[in-house]
Amino acid sequence: MEWSIFQQYGPMLLRGFAITIFCWLLGTILGMVLGLLIALAQRYGVKPVRWLLQTYIEIIRGTPFLVQLFVLYYGGPLIGLRLDALPAGLLGLTIYGSPYFAEIFRSAFRAVPHGQIEAARAIGMAEPSIIRRILLPLGLVSALPALVNFSIILTKETVILSIITVPELMYQVQRMSTETFRYLEANLVLALFFWGLVELISRAGRRLETRITKHLIERT
Amino acid sequence: MVQASSVEIRKVNKFYGPFQALKDIDLSVPPGKVTCLIGPSGSGKSTLLRCINFLEEYDSGEVRIDGQLIGYEAPGGRRMRARKLREMRRSIGMVFQQFNLWPHMTAQENVAEGLIRVRGLPRAEAADRAVEALRKVGLGDKMANHPARLSGGQQQRVAIARAIAMEPRLMLFDEPTSALDPELVGEVLNVMKTLAGEGMTMVVVTHEMGFAAHVADQVAFMEAGELVAVDAPARILHQPEDPRIQGFLRTYHERNAF
Ligand SMILES: Nc1ncnc2c1ncn2[C@@H]1O[C@H](COP(=O)(O)OP(=O)(O)OP(=O)(O)O)[C@@H](O)[C@H]1O
Ligand SMILES: [Mg+2]
Repeated sequence: MEWSIFQQYGPMLLRGFAITIFCWLLGTILGMVLGLLIALAQRYGVKPVRWLLQTYIEIIRGTPFLVQLFVLYYGGPLIGLRLDALPAGLLGLTIYGSPYFAEIFRSAFRAVPHGQIEAARAIGMAEPSIIRRILLPLGLVSALPALVNFSIILTKETVILSIITVPELMYQVQRMSTETFRYLEANLVLALFFWGLVELISRAGRRLETRITKHLIERT
Repeated sequence: MVQASSVEIRKVNKFYGPFQALKDIDLSVPPGKVTCLIGPSGSGKSTLLRCINFLEEYDSGEVRIDGQLIGYEAPGGRRMRARKLREMRRSIGMVFQQFNLWPHMTAQENVAEGLIRVRGLPRAEAADRAVEALRKVGLGDKMANHPARLSGGQQQRVAIARAIAMEPRLMLFDEPTSALDPELVGEVLNVMKTLAGEGMTMVVVTHEMGFAAHVADQVAFMEAGELVAVDAPARILHQPEDPRIQGFLRTYHERNAF
């Protein structure tokens, strides 16, 4: 093992890691928002809309992220969608994650007891209020573990952005490897970074879960 | 005394696919009176009750609250506007067997929610009125508790407070004590008796024959989607003429004898 090369490549790797986190965070948030909108549209939309969204979900879930990214980045310009690597990567992540998030929200909404929705209707609450005050808060609680889980999976999907030259961690690790032939060291660093990130997310997720379910769990 | 509504149910039919859950139901609920709906499981009691605030759509006939048709623009006509339906529901309180409190809100928040979102009251005023309603059901000291930190009887009383805080003119109860441990039934029935004493119109689906006998002004017996008889409690519960009611009461007494 030869660790001295990190004096030279360290800053570059750190910058790469920062971009990885940036892509993951933004892609996850945007993917969640898009997924939430899809789930709501599926719950309240008319039949053609629901059918269209189900098709979207199946297409995106049925194809590898790598292929989606290629189509977006290299195929996009053919239909006038010319994006730089970073925005293309972010858009790709958002689209890739959205159907999974949509399914998580959809089943979480279904887990909200219907009687609690009816209780709101019975006192004359309007549907938007019901969504905002009852469906969303309760749905989010039951969705949280699955949301955290899929966000963790997404951290590792970011490495694929390297193939469209987004300068994230994987991209930098590959560059370092080819320049120094230190494949082992470079990939160990990659693994270490991801392990740390995943650990952080899952801890944050568990804390959040304890916090928001505090009042919902019956004292025994 | 509260302002009390009347309910008129005329020739109401309800189908679930080919299955007819309500058959030509006629029932008048006079203002300020308590009507108990009894009958065997699956006879259509909940379905009928839920037609009154249109949580369940009836397919034909009329349900009128104070003379105003609920659910449809006209008999056999188009569905009523959502906004109009919400307006009518504001004055109809409903209490469910499973309480259906919102678990992420405290007792006080549960009660204040409708006042804020539906009645448009400012938060502070809604909070005050929630306290008032909770005091009325004997829960002044549990306002800050979430439902998970309340007993079943307390949860059901919060649910009643949530309904009465809206100042309804009609209250619907669907087996409000059936999910409760026997020792908690009394506290809920007492709150209901108080309400009845204040002149609230109440329609109560119940298996509590004692409540029906002592509090109801009229008892309606349902079986297999039909309203078999409506009469004074004594005439239904003590001298029933219809063999179906006799059979039902016999089973009831056998189950409760020991
Ligand atoms: N959503 C539904 N779809 C199909 N059938 C239904 C539905 N809801 C109720 N039913 C049927 O309609 C009939 C009446 O149901 P309802 O719930 O009104 O009975 P109930 O008198 O309240 O009984 P219980 O005392 O058990 O609550 C039952 O046979 C039931 O199976
Ligand atoms: Mg029922």
